[in-house]
Amino acid sequence: MGAQRSTVDRLDKPSAYFNSRNKRRGGRDRRDDDDDINMHNNQEEDDPLKDATTLYVGNLSFYTTEEQVYELFSKCGEIKRLIMGLDRFNKTPCGFCFVEYYTHQDALDCMKYIGGTKLDERIIRTDLDPGFEEGRQYGRGKSGGQVRDEYREDFDEGRGGLGRQIQQDARLREVERRDNESDLGRLR
Amino acid sequence: MADYDRRSGGDRGGYNSKKRRYRDDDDYDRRGPRRRFDAPPHVRIRRQLLSIAENPMRAWHEEVASIANLFTDNWDDELLRGNFVDLVLQLSLEQPLKTPFLAAVVLVANTNRPEIMDMLLAKLTAGIEAKIGAGEWRDVKLYLKLLACLQSCLEGDGVFPVLEELFSRAVDLQTASSDDTIGTELVKIILLTLPYVMVTSPEQWAQKAMDLMEKTEIIALEPHALQTLVEPYHAETAEGNSNPSQSLIKLLQTQLQIEANNGWSLSFLPRPWEFPLSEAETQTKLNDALKHALPKITLPQAVVAGPRPLFPEVYFSVCANQDVESVPSESKAAASLIRDALTDTINILHINRNVTARHLVEVDCFFAPRTFAARATPFDRLRDIEPPKSTWKPEDVAVDAVFSQLFQLPNPEHKLVYYHSVLTETCKLAPAAIAPSLGRAIRYLYRNVHRLDLELENRFLDWFSHHLSNFGFTWKWTEWVDDVYLPDLHPRKAFIKGAIDKEIRLSFAQRIKNTLPEPYKDLIGPEMELETPDFKFANDSTPFAVEGREIAQLVKSKASDEEIQPVIERIHALALDNDLDPLVASTDVFVTAVLHVGSKSLSHVLAAIERTKDRLTDAGAASEAARSQIISAVMAYWASHPGVALAIVEKLLNYSILTPAAVINWALITCGGATKGDALARAHIFELVFNTVMKVTGRVRQVAQKAAQPDVMTDGDTMDAEARGMRELFRAIEDALVSWASGNKDEMIEMDIGDGEGKSQREALVRRWGERWLRVYRRRAAIEEAFLIETSKKVAAADGAAANGEAGTIA
Repeated sequence: MGAQRSTVDRLDKPSAYFNSRNKRRGGRDRRDDDDDINMHNNQEEDDPLKDATTLYVGNLSFYTTEEQVYELFSKCGEIKRLIMGLDRFNKTPCGFCFVEYYTHQDALDCMKYIGGTKLDERIIRTDLDPGFEEGRQYGRGKSGGQVRDEYREDFDEGRGGLGRQIQQDARLREVERRDNESDLGRLR
Repeated sequence: MADYDRRSGGDRGGYNSKKRRYRDDDDYDRRGPRRRFDAPPHVRIRRQLLSIAENPMRAWHEEVASIANLFTDNWDDELLRGNFVDLVLQLSLEQPLKTPFLAAVVLVANTNRPEIMDMLLAKLTAGIEAKIGAGEWRDVKLYLKLLACLQSCLEGDGVFPVLEELFSRAVDLQTASSDDTIGTELVKIILLTLPYVMVTSPEQWAQKAMDLMEKTEIIALEPHALQTLVEPYHAETAEGNSNPSQSLIKLLQTQLQIEANNGWSLSFLPRPWEFPLSEAETQTKLNDALKHALPKITLPQAVVAGPRPLFPEVYFSVCANQDVESVPSESKAAASLIRDALTDTINILHINRNVTARHLVEVDCFFAPRTFAARATPFDRLRDIEPPKSTWKPEDVAVDAVFSQLFQLPNPEHKLVYYHSVLTETCKLAPAAIAPSLGRAIRYLYRNVHRLDLELENRFLDWFSHHLSNFGFTWKWTEWVDDVYLPDLHPRKAFIKGAIDKEIRLSFAQRIKNTLPEPYKDLIGPEMELETPDFKFANDSTPFAVEGREIAQLVKSKASDEEIQPVIERIHALALDNDLDPLVASTDVFVTAVLHVGSKSLSHVLAAIERTKDRLTDAGAASEAARSQIISAVMAYWASHPGVALAIVEKLLNYSILTPAAVINWALITCGGATKGDALARAHIFELVFNTVMKVTGRVRQVAQKAAQPDVMTDGDTMDAEARGMRELFRAIEDALVSWASGNKDEMIEMDIGDGEGKSQREALVRRWGERWLRVYRRRAAIEEAFLIETSKKVAAADGAAANGEAGTIA
């Protein structure tokens, strides 16, 4: 029978995001069959996540501290290392972090028991990660934070309000408007 | 790496768009009307089996017959046949609430295709043998449950010979050792299987059941030697003969006896194989279906405990002694059987807590109609329910089952946070129904907090604060307002303080303060709202203020050790002049300075410790007093944020700057003495000691398990050293706590607080804390000893096997 597909979905699988990135990188095509029995078998031997001890944690508030992350994530095992995600320019927290455990099992348990629950009153997401590398602690968005905070249209108080590009556009328009007004004033 | 949550589109390749299209198609399919193809039978059968009994609007017999017929209509599909059997077996292990319904499908299919029963029985009995061999007792139980539900189409006595053989094995084990837990487990399995046999045909098997139960009685009613170890309550001596919890198998035995006297009505168990009169034809076919011989199940010569250590179990309920029976009372078989099915579901489905929560919320779908009151019936309305109707509240039954796991001693199957997450999801799924039940559970536990085992009280604390953090920190604190004025040594006040601290750790002081009524706000002092603690050496009136500031500056500027040394020597000289222990003085100044430099965040302090770890290690090694001072400095600097202090101590242990013994001594002797025992009532002190002990025992277990692996070179010395260290630690804890518990602690004798009565009251409280602590660590010590014995047995067995193997090759 081999590894049997479970009768319920597992919560400790890597997200579609990771799989998609991984597959694109590898240049492989995705199979279109709707029978996911094969999905498990084609996890290659060199699956970079098979011993993963690190998690990417997303949707944090900018105000959430290391200590808060530590308090919650320690419930799944001792934390080996915690790296806060920072704005590339300001070096202030920008809403994500990496949590590294000592064991793979702790990381899986964290996916199952903590991913999708609240920290600092926000639903956080966790994703297995092949491991932290220097440089990954910084946001990759144009203005230094995470990309998702550039064009975000909803107002998220914990993540700096509207998307930064949208805020910037609004500021530019405001300046333009004022410039126009003063121009008009001069004409009068 | 950053942009996870939002798809801005555009930059993603073909993969994503394909995926989206695929998803859309899927939605289409489910919507139905535009569907062009039916899924192939094996896909449809899988889908229907997986969701069996979940839809309360669908009659069981219809659902059962439709799946069975779909299956037999496609009998020629070989893939389907094999898959069907495997899936039934797998589901019975993964979603045990559905087992009776699966059995019904098989029974109906058997009327058309009797071959299916033989296929299933062959695999099922092989499965049972394999699971017994591996000591996977829960799986054995779940397979037997499926087999029991099929009793009506088995030849002869069906399951009974299997149960009888299991029993005779249990007798052997119990006779061999009174500490035996496998025999107890076997009896539990027999008693939990029996009702599922009886429900198929009560009259036919009544005598057999009676005979079997006469035998199990001796083992089931005998109190187990280890039962006191897992007792969740720790009665105050004054309470005297407070009744201890009932052991699970004793309860089962008595409950089943009552059922037997009532002709095994077992009214709560589902009977999905019973068809209404309108379906008389199917019913006749079922009654006349071909019976099958059960393949022989051979028990291995020696049975093993399996991967999970076995302990006797007790029945724990947070809904006990209510004026209305919102959960089955302890005298009813339903209490044990529903609980058993639910706890299995909870523990097995740890891979997806959302599914667990759904099964819990929908528990009434899986038991006979009218077993429960309507969902979400408010507790107060249960009183209005007229007698023949059930007052069992499905939410209470569900919540009770989760708490029984969260509060299981010595350990639940999974990490505690799993059970937290199940309660969170259950509450999210049906807030109006579940939240009030949780509220009553919380009140029950709070009322009993003084007699809960101290380890369990801390589990309660941890869950409670974590749960609130998922629901906006809302709780009706006003109802406990009077307890705010109790002394800190009172268990309820200690709970309140501990809970608020843990809430703050997950949030921040100002936020939590805003959720609390006025009298509680005083418990959160202004110092707790500061982002970083004050640096005591900033104040010139503090001794060594100048040196403290200087060292902080040096550490901050990453100065070399040679630059720091002269300042340390100055402190030594000053201390000697003032008749102080120079090492203690310099350690305090240095550690506090390091903490101050790293006050911004945990990473900062860890970096500061990393840079200064040589000097810290030397300080820790210099003298016991200095070692203790390191902890004092950390705990004092972060006094308002104990969570940070504990995290730092944990890291200092990792660096071996501190030893576990130093932490224990500091907590139970230094700090305990300085506070005249108040420290014992502080949740974070318990947490500090508990974490340290768990670290040590975890390490011992790791080493022992490595040693038990046959391929690994066994390093007996390491193992012995680790075990010795652990035993010494437990002895130190025992010694310190015994003097608190017996009131012989110097500080207690010298206690000069209050007059006679106040003093004795205080003394009684301190002694009680000492007793509660002592119970926890005696238990932990006993469990670890049991573990070491168990592993050494395995090592011996492995060695024996290896020796035999070698002998074999030589011959």
